[in-house]
This record gives sequence, C-alpha cells and structure tokens, in this order.
Amino acid sequence: QGLKPLIPTESPDLIFGTSKLAPGLPAADHYLGTNKVPDLQKVFQRSDGLPVHLKLGYPDRLLYRTTMALTIGGTIYCLVALFIASQPKKQ
Amino acid sequence: MAHQAHSYHMVDPSPWPILGAAAALLVTSGLTMWFHYNSPRLLILGLLATILVMFQWWRDIVRESTFQGHHTPMVQKGLRYGMVLFITSEAFFFLGFFWAFFHSSLAPTPELGGQWPPVGIKPLNPMEVPLLNTAILLASGVTVTWAHHSITEANRKQAIQALLLTVLLGFYFTALQAMEYYEAPFSIADGVYGSTFFVATGFHGLHVIIGSTFLLVCLLRLIKYHFTSNHHFGFEAAAWYWHFVDVVWLFLYIFIYWWGS
Repeated sequence: QGLKPLIPTESPDLIFGTSKLAPGLPAADHYLGTNKVPDLQKVFQRSDGLPVHLKLGYPDRLLYRTTMALTIGGTIYCLVALFIASQPKKQ
Repeated sequence: MAHQAHSYHMVDPSPWPILGAAAALLVTSGLTMWFHYNSPRLLILGLLATILVMFQWWRDIVRESTFQGHHTPMVQKGLRYGMVLFITSEAFFFLGFFWAFFHSSLAPTPELGGQWPPVGIKPLNPMEVPLLNTAILLASGVTVTWAHHSITEANRKQAIQALLLTVLLGFYFTALQAMEYYEAPFSIADGVYGSTFFVATGFHGLHVIIGSTFLLVCLLRLIKYHFTSNHHFGFEAAAWYWHFVDVVWLFLYIFIYWWGS
C-alpha cells in the first residue's frame, strides 16, 4: 500500500467558487474565516511515514496515549471486577 | 514512494477498531456493575473511552478524505452503500419496538381494563407539544434540503444559515421532548403503556441527539471549507440520517401519540 501521489485535490471546486462572485468582492471569501484546507492538505500529505492518526505529532500522540491508557486500564479493572463478581457469596 | 494501481482506499494501520471494541466491553460490563452493584465507575470510564475513540476515528476519516484525497468515487460509492445499510438496520431496530407496541395495543388484555390507553393512564394530548414537535421536524427537513441545494450551488452564506437553522430546530425538539418527559403524568414503570411509550420515544430521542450532533459536525466542516459543490458526502449522510429520524417520528406521532390516545 502507499499514499496517492501529491495532487492538489478539489481546489478548483471549492465552495466559495470564483465563478459566482459579485464584482467588487475580494477574491478570497472571508465569511466566518478563510480557507485553510490547502495548507492542511500539504501538512497531511508530507512523506514522513506517520500514520494518519499520529500525523500532527504531539497533540495526536497525547490523545492516543490517553485513550489507550483509559481503555487498557479500564479493561484490566473490568476483568478484576468480573472476577470478584463471580466469587460465591459467603454464607 | 509506492503508488497504488487501483482506486480503493487501503487505510493506514489504526488502533481505533480494537480500542472501540474494548470501550464497548467497558460500557456493557459497566452497565452490569451499575445495575447490580450500584457502581457507575466502569460505565463512566467506558462512555469516556467510547467518545474518545469516536472522535479520533471520525477525525481520521476527515483527514484521509479532505486532506489526503483518498475518497475517490469508488470509495464514496462504498460509503453510500454503507450508510444505506446502516440506516436500514436502524429501521429494523425501530420496527421491533413498534411491533411490541401493536402487540399490546391492538388486543388490550383484561389486566389493562380491556382498553387502550389502559385504565388509569392519562395520555399526552397529541394536539399540544407533540404536534409542535412534528412541525419542528418537518421544518428541519425543509431546512436541511435548503442547505443541500445551497452547497451544490456554491452559496456559502446560505448553506451555513440553513444548516445552522436545522441544528437549532433539532435542539429545540430535544428540549421540548425533555420537558414533556419531565411533565408527563405517567412513567416507564406504568405498565406496558409506559414501557412501549418511553422505550420507543426514548430511542427516537437518542437518535435525534445523534442526528443533531452529526449535523453540527457538518456545520463546523462547512464553515471550515471542507465541502465542495460536488463532493460533500458527509453532509449527505447526515441529511439521510436526519430524514430517517423525521420519518420515525411521523410513525411515532401517528400511531403512539394520536391513534394510541
């Protein structure tokens, strides 16, 4: 498997399509923020070998490790709780 | 760098499927600990893990599609089939609860007083808040269609307004329904009427919350320029789900609220 080659995806078709602009408006739409998708496309298509869930580096690793810790820890806690629950009650 | 000779998406190795399965284990065993041992700790841990997995898995799908370009027409076709199959499975889920309702209401037993609604049950007036809720969901079906047309016509401002209105209508429905639940003169423990009413409308309400959340995520993605005028499947999937939720409500309103009162 491999990533597709770096191609600018969808840029001509962006939703603030230039074909519909009224005259006198600036070329880039600023209604509720500017379009950062092309920049993000460059970031996520970097050839650094990182899988998509860790592509942004530190913030991704932090969230992944937190999720992993909660889930693995929780599974151990669950197995202990089920073991205790399966013990016969004292008479 | 290797290039693929096909238009399908071979995903990067991901931890979310197995962690999602583990989170489901924590939720189910957590329910057991809560029901039988009065301890909600494991359940809360499980729900938290589930939310984290859902957030990161869907975040990764947005990265793979919008930022990495992996969602070719073939891939999108598969996603369309997937969403249709999922909504179909949800339709069967609700069918079961409607079956239970008709089983009890078409031939009311002597224990219920041989009538429906059963003796002692004061049903909600279908012409009051339930009718308003029907109008709200029907209106939201119109606004979501308006949003879709605005997206395909590349009209950013109107698309955002229409989708925002749809989300607000969804939250308005939930708020009204929550108030109705609080004020209702009967509870889930009030015989088979209470059971069928609250389980059917309760699961519907949960689906309204899920659908509203899906639409809200679409609104945020719309504002961030993720959708193009001819590629916006995430929005379409949310709109399909929302129409499904609307149709289920229409059945609930006609048969449980109106016929059943």
